[in-house]
Amino acid sequence: MSEKVGVYICHCGANIAGVVDVAALSHWAGELPDVAVARDYKFMCSSLGQELIEKDIQELGLTRVVVAACSPHLHEATFRNCCKRAGLNPYLFEMASIREQVSWVTANKTVALEKSKALISGAVHRVIHNQALEPIIVDINPNVLVVGGGITGIQAALEIADAGYHVYLVEREPSIGGHMAQFDKTFPTLDCSACILTPKMFSAGTHPNITLLTWSEVEKVDGYVGNFTVKVRQKARKVNTELCTGCGICEQKCPKKVIDTVFEAGMGLRKAVYTPFPQAVPKYPVMDVQNCTFFQKGTCKACEKFCPTGAIDFKQEDKVVSFDVGNIILATGWDLFDCRRIPQYGYGRLANVYNSLEFERLSNAAGPTGGKVILRDGVTVPQSVGIIHCVGSRDKNYNPYCSAICCMQSLKFAHLVKEKTGAQVYNFYIDIRTPLKAYDEFYQHILETDETRFVRGKVAEVTDAARLPGEEGKLIIQVEDTLIGKQRRIPVDMVILSAGLEPRHDAKEVAKLFGIGCSADQWFIERHPKLDPVATMTEGVFVAGVCQGPKDIPLSVTQGAAAAARVIGLVNRKQVSLEPVRASVNAEQCSGCRICNNQCPFNAISFLVDKGVSEINPALCQGCGTCVAACPAGAITGSHYTNAQILSQIEGILEVELGQREAVPA
Amino acid sequence: MKAYAYFPGCSLEKMALSYHQSALECARRLDLEFQELDDWNCCGTTAYFAIDQLLSYTLSARNLALAEKKKLDMVTPCAGCYKNAYFTNVTLKRDADLAEHINEALKEDDLHYAGTNQVYHLLEVFCNDVGVQEIKKRVTQSLNSLRVAPYYGCQIVRPRKDHEEVENPRYFEDLIAATGATPVEYQLKMRCCGGSLLITSRKAAFSMARNLLQNAMDNGAAVIATACPMCQVNLECYQQQINQEFGARFSVPILYFTQLLGLALGASPKELGFGSELVSASAVLAQIRNKETSTTQSPYIRHATS
Amino acid sequence: MDTRPTFYQEITNMMYATHGDPISTCIQCGTCSGTCPVVEFMDHTPRDLIGMIRADLKDEVLASNTYWYCASCFHCNVRCPAHIDIADLMYTLKRYSIWKNQYPEGLIGPTFAETFVKMILSGGRSYEPVLAPAYIFNYGLQGFLNEALTATGLLLKGRIPVLPPRIKRLDNFRRMVGHIIPASNLVGEAK
Repeated sequence: MSEKVGVYICHCGANIAGVVDVAALSHWAGELPDVAVARDYKFMCSSLGQELIEKDIQELGLTRVVVAACSPHLHEATFRNCCKRAGLNPYLFEMASIREQVSWVTANKTVALEKSKALISGAVHRVIHNQALEPIIVDINPNVLVVGGGITGIQAALEIADAGYHVYLVEREPSIGGHMAQFDKTFPTLDCSACILTPKMFSAGTHPNITLLTWSEVEKVDGYVGNFTVKVRQKARKVNTELCTGCGICEQKCPKKVIDTVFEAGMGLRKAVYTPFPQAVPKYPVMDVQNCTFFQKGTCKACEKFCPTGAIDFKQEDKVVSFDVGNIILATGWDLFDCRRIPQYGYGRLANVYNSLEFERLSNAAGPTGGKVILRDGVTVPQSVGIIHCVGSRDKNYNPYCSAICCMQSLKFAHLVKEKTGAQVYNFYIDIRTPLKAYDEFYQHILETDETRFVRGKVAEVTDAARLPGEEGKLIIQVEDTLIGKQRRIPVDMVILSAGLEPRHDAKEVAKLFGIGCSADQWFIERHPKLDPVATMTEGVFVAGVCQGPKDIPLSVTQGAAAAARVIGLVNRKQVSLEPVRASVNAEQCSGCRICNNQCPFNAISFLVDKGVSEINPALCQGCGTCVAACPAGAITGSHYTNAQILSQIEGILEVELGQREAVPA
Repeated sequence: MKAYAYFPGCSLEKMALSYHQSALECARRLDLEFQELDDWNCCGTTAYFAIDQLLSYTLSARNLALAEKKKLDMVTPCAGCYKNAYFTNVTLKRDADLAEHINEALKEDDLHYAGTNQVYHLLEVFCNDVGVQEIKKRVTQSLNSLRVAPYYGCQIVRPRKDHEEVENPRYFEDLIAATGATPVEYQLKMRCCGGSLLITSRKAAFSMARNLLQNAMDNGAAVIATACPMCQVNLECYQQQINQEFGARFSVPILYFTQLLGLALGASPKELGFGSELVSASAVLAQIRNKETSTTQSPYIRHATS
Repeated sequence: MDTRPTFYQEITNMMYATHGDPISTCIQCGTCSGTCPVVEFMDHTPRDLIGMIRADLKDEVLASNTYWYCASCFHCNVRCPAHIDIADLMYTLKRYSIWKNQYPEGLIGPTFAETFVKMILSGGRSYEPVLAPAYIFNYGLQGFLNEALTATGLLLKGRIPVLPPRIKRLDNFRRMVGHIIPASNLVGEAK
């Protein structure tokens, strides 16, 4: 049976036509066997372009369509719909990427034309073997998993819960709140971080549609969009939350003090049984088994003795809970850059060099000094403070990217120091970046009122090696003041390092767990950097907040809400159509070797003992192709990726390539 | 017994003879065989780069080829020679055209460099190949908590080599601690002493050396240990002139680390080339002999600011 | 149309040719100048100099003493957030300046570099006393006397060689050098 193929070549303005001779390409394609018509057009994706294709399908009776344009990621869905509207099964369509794979990667017009020919030839050969398929429709489980209980995750969870769907909010730490709970003030308005955060935390903790799983981590994720099964490990709190009233007596009575390196950033102490801060949600404490006297030495049990409700349970074990959700939002946040990696800044060696989170705690009224900005000796108020921007950011030795929040954070610090101590403040910056609403106004305000000295230069080193008069006992910041072209040594009492944001140390493993991608810097990769910033390449898995890249609170909240909106939209549809790409076993060819059985990452393959062959459950199969490649007998086929399709595509490409070689004698 | 091709460099022939003697003595006592390169030439130091980088690579390539002929990795006690040899080696290995060009020239001396060997500084060989633990075992004469300031200088650790710690390395301190001495923590241990500016920009060189001496003294150093003949000369021989220039009263012995290590390994001062110092090391030697003293009186001298 | 490369291009190309990273990635942050131990003696900071090169201020760059003060300590190199090989830039400028025979009055650096090279070519090894006359020229009588004092001290301790050292296969060595700089007057003089 001969097919009638239509080939459509897009100019994409000058994107493609600027490099590829589209007229020649179109003329050449028209001569290919089975091709009934070939056309080129300025923008194939425009309504007029699509109407062109629809008209040809109807009037010329095309049975197959090839569009040579951008990447399928961008417009495959567009042209499939176009075919569908004209009455052609959308899977009888193929796309050849002559923009991303040709015109954007070469300026050489000759090779561009030849490669375009090869890709189109491959697509034409392949499309003839395409089969009409129907999308698989599955139900969407309306429950949602949100991973990470910082401000982003809280926002997402509340939006979804308010829309009437159930949310499981999983948080690794004992309380939700994230980094925002540690902050004192928030820029640019300087409102109290706790004041605006805790109401949201409380809502999340009490919302009937939210199941809070704190002190918990996701261990396993199976399934696909609409139908995920999630396993979560709830670490043993050693506190029975059914009985605990959150009265805090256990914490008061616990004799063991531990440096709190998480919430207090190492600046303060906590007990071995503790809630990280007074407004913690949930209110239940957790026991730090590594530091608990009873667990380490076998005696104490003070908490148990004093607990009025008998809630302390030393025997409590980790619990693994399992539940089903239809969609997942990752809002796992960030780690702070470790300033020890820049030894010349003295962090960890020189006592009065602080990182940004330490300063947040120092400045916080609920923090270890009650909000007094004092040196490590616990009494001295600094008379001069240097704030260093870009620590670990915009530096090929550490992180090449801009951490986005440090300029505003540093300006905020400058203001807080001035307000609380009256000290002379110096800000050392490379560029001041204040791009969002009311940000530059904040900078202007600092310039006008705070007498902060701004020194343009990346600090070379912080040292306590005094050399000049006035330097003794001080921290000396050595820097080129680039605006006057002179090296300066500025003695100060305190240095604050505006450390950059980094992906979570385990971001790569988390990405793998949820089947999404990580950039080279290990930020989670969104589906499209501009037009699809919260979706990922994995259907049903969304990202929001800093885990996707450095951003401040307003943007994080925006993304949390955006991800929620995407999820609510999907859930409202109740069903989702999946690509009908599924593997199937040809029972006659199957030898029953069972090699495929353990290869399947979705546990979709079972062995039928009575028939002696393997069988694939199409509801579980995700069409990954692992079994197809593994089968030694070639008995497994993946629909839309059949051997005939792939081999003929290769044949089509080689035909052009080899033809070229023969035409040009070596 | 592990063997190395030993490239002493020009300074060690006379100016830093004590470094040469003590390096060989330490090697012998640590069961290392140092085979001196036959007919080695000057590496070109830093001055050469100003004139002709290609020529500079060629000079170092000749020495590398001499070492390769022995089928041995090269070790050199001079930081300048080390930097030149190390980076020539790196460059020739990644630039085949350059290697071919230079090998053409090497033919004139019946030499060829294929790039099969490694280049180490003496300090690396002692700290990594022999190992600080092993050295500790072999110490027969503890240095009695002598306060030694390890001076890394520039070219042993810079420029960057892979991901090596370039701002705060610790191996020199570890080596000093292994000898029973107390390594002095001071901030300028990685800072340039100005040695390469001695002739061209004396004022700058003196100012840099002064800062360094002052910082080591302020932190209680009784002696500064160096691993580079240029640093040694700059810091020791010009102390008088620095005192004149800045009205200071420095009188701090600047010894090669191998002289101190040698003493700890049981060698006599004579075997280690003691006696050629311009700033007397007799107080240092006295302290090591005097087992009663466990802490050192630092010759802490503030510069007179008047 | 003038197709000659600009000064900035010339310097960049020289750095490319000798494996250096180009200075186009400089963000003018001043880490190099803040780090530099000699900066107080330089008329322009290293960062400033990079800006001047990028502005094609050739005469001003050649009149600068900055690169002659560079001590090759490489501290700027390891700290530069843009991974620019700043020490190599300084060598490049020295080389360029010597080629053009253009440098500020009273600088001893260029003469020293050339003297040093000639010395090595004549014997294959370096010999400190050859460098002595430079002191008188540059530091005057007091400087020379001080230097002589230091030298005498070293001489008494046996640390200065009386005769220049020579390598054994000097003829081979000189022919080897001749391969690299065939028509060099340096080699000629050395012979």
